[in-house]
Amino acid sequence: MTARSLRRTLACAAVAAAPFVLSTGASAQETIRFGAPLPLTGALAPEALKQQQGYDLWAEQVNKAGGIDVGGRKMKVEIVYTDYQSNTPRAVQAAEQLITQEKVNFLFSPFGSGAAKAASTVSEKYRMPTIASTASSSQVYDQGYRYLFGTFTPNDTLTTPLTQIVSQKAPQVKRVAIIARNDLFPLAIAQEMEKSAKKHGMDVVMFEKYAINTMDHSSALAQVKAANADWIFATGYINDLVLIRKQMSDQRIGAPVVTMIAGPAYQEFIDAAGAGAENISSAAWWHPAVRYQGKDIFGTADNYVKLFREKYNVTPDYAQASSSVSGALFQMAIEKAGSLDREKVRDALAGMNVMTFWGPVHFGKTGQIDSLEPPVFQIQGGKTVVVHPPEIRQGELKLGVGMPQ
Amino acid sequence: MFLQILVNGVVLGCLYACIAAGFSLVWGVLNVINLMHGSFIVLGSYLAWGAYHSLGFSPWVTLAIAAPLFYVAGFLVQRGVLNRVMAAPVLVTLTLTFGMDLILNNAMILAFKADYRKLILDPPLGTIAWGSVVVPVDRLVATVFALVLTAALYVLLRRTRMGRAIIAVRLDRDAARLMGVDVPVTYAAAFGLGAAMAGCAGVLLALIFPISPLSSLPYLGKAFVVCVLGGLGSVPGAVLGGLVLGLVESFGALAIGPEHAVTLSFALLIGFLVFRPQGLLGKRGFE
Repeated sequence: MTARSLRRTLACAAVAAAPFVLSTGASAQETIRFGAPLPLTGALAPEALKQQQGYDLWAEQVNKAGGIDVGGRKMKVEIVYTDYQSNTPRAVQAAEQLITQEKVNFLFSPFGSGAAKAASTVSEKYRMPTIASTASSSQVYDQGYRYLFGTFTPNDTLTTPLTQIVSQKAPQVKRVAIIARNDLFPLAIAQEMEKSAKKHGMDVVMFEKYAINTMDHSSALAQVKAANADWIFATGYINDLVLIRKQMSDQRIGAPVVTMIAGPAYQEFIDAAGAGAENISSAAWWHPAVRYQGKDIFGTADNYVKLFREKYNVTPDYAQASSSVSGALFQMAIEKAGSLDREKVRDALAGMNVMTFWGPVHFGKTGQIDSLEPPVFQIQGGKTVVVHPPEIRQGELKLGVGMPQ
Repeated sequence: MFLQILVNGVVLGCLYACIAAGFSLVWGVLNVINLMHGSFIVLGSYLAWGAYHSLGFSPWVTLAIAAPLFYVAGFLVQRGVLNRVMAAPVLVTLTLTFGMDLILNNAMILAFKADYRKLILDPPLGTIAWGSVVVPVDRLVATVFALVLTAALYVLLRRTRMGRAIIAVRLDRDAARLMGVDVPVTYAAAFGLGAAMAGCAGVLLALIFPISPLSSLPYLGKAFVVCVLGGLGSVPGAVLGGLVLGLVESFGALAIGPEHAVTLSFALLIGFLVFRPQGLLGKRGFE
């Protein structure tokens, strides 16, 4: 048989076998299908990649362990992805398509608060239990929907504990200067900070927004210096915050407390800011340094980080962990319900009260998690140290960033 | 605070001039809008970062390596690729450099990932102060180098045989050819010089800005504005345009908030395009 005819024969065989392969997939359900509409291309692609990593790791671990126990029968899981190209209206179509055409059993929300809110209507229409792993705004959950659950607490839960700790530890800190990236999440966090500071009797002496792609912060920082702030609170992403920190040194600006969100949660920030990262405080929904003894498939943050590093060779942050824990929560709800029945799984999620590597999980009336206290942490000696909440505290908040010794 | 912001603005302006000088030269002489310029700068930053963190070369040493390296690379890119479409309308070269930029930028993302890195000198250069005005030494040194490099480019164009040829080609390509100037080689030399300026700017900026392939677009944007403000193909124009932009952004941020500083610079761009398209130092009608 020549190579060419062999190839032809194989091709014919493959075509002939195809219907059988497809039909075995379609008849008795062997796998549980989870739909994940994600912005895999376009501006939000880096975020989508993180979520995908989180879901994939969870699915891999579940399948390695034999699958999810559904009323005594082990079923493997499969994640079905669709790309909505960072285009929110398409996220809604993508979610609907996953439910009606791909016939997924359960759904993960698209990325961020806006898209999650938009797609939640579809979940409600089809009575599809849905977990949002990256939506923090309470406006996503206050629509009276029954099928939507979320693993991020509202934004103010990041700023309130911070303000409490600072006002206890350093009552002399009164003057707060806020610099915010004019972008959805960074601006929302800055506005929450302004509220928290005022509630704790502090003066917000400056609140400035800067545009996306700003290459120079020296004027804003000259104003911070002139305002003589005790607490500098800057929001943005890694590049913004590394540059702001560098330019603070450039102009010899220091303060008892310097907080940055969301850069310091990432190792990249600590590497890029070098010695400048010292004593910078931050908060996030999760951090690899947290110490909870979970009952989920991952158990502890240590184990989660280890598995994640084995698969991807990087340390996970809160976005990846949230996606993984969303999968783990579905898993526990399905095992408790003992079936794939949407109503039963929905009720199991609604009644859930369990410890995970992510932290304690209980969903409030709206479906948004109400049991989690996001960790406040600080870079000390080039390492991240959790300073709050007390159950997982590793050290005390230290004062002084860039101040004369 | 006024003095501090004035100093910040001047320093920032010189950095902008450094970003834009090579871009202006290529646009002015070749009539090519080189969209790879931003990526060249980022590549220069990576060179400085890698040379410092793995070989221990200080950025000042790296400058001496970067200049010939980028010159040769630019020369070859022009000879090998761009030269084939030099006679085509500007849209063709624009599309070509856009495509090559996509390749270069994605290659950098593959090689370095999109993570932000920072060249951290050990020990740091620190800051110097006159009264209440503080200036970081790294920015100051980068400013001086930027001015020296730009001045060197100016002298090169005015005083050397190659420079005269570049200017001759820029003024009148056909006449230059009749006078025996090798036009394709002159084009390649100008493109090489532009690339060398970009590479050197990248090395200097590595001290100041976080490094990532994603930074190439903001750099390109600044170069664009500076060129339009200062006038195309004019080296003093690039310095003046850079200074104007730096000062406008710094004082703009103070007066109307940093939120609008970038808006202000682009409003200025539109204003110049409408009312003074030749820029501050450009000559009208020059193509």
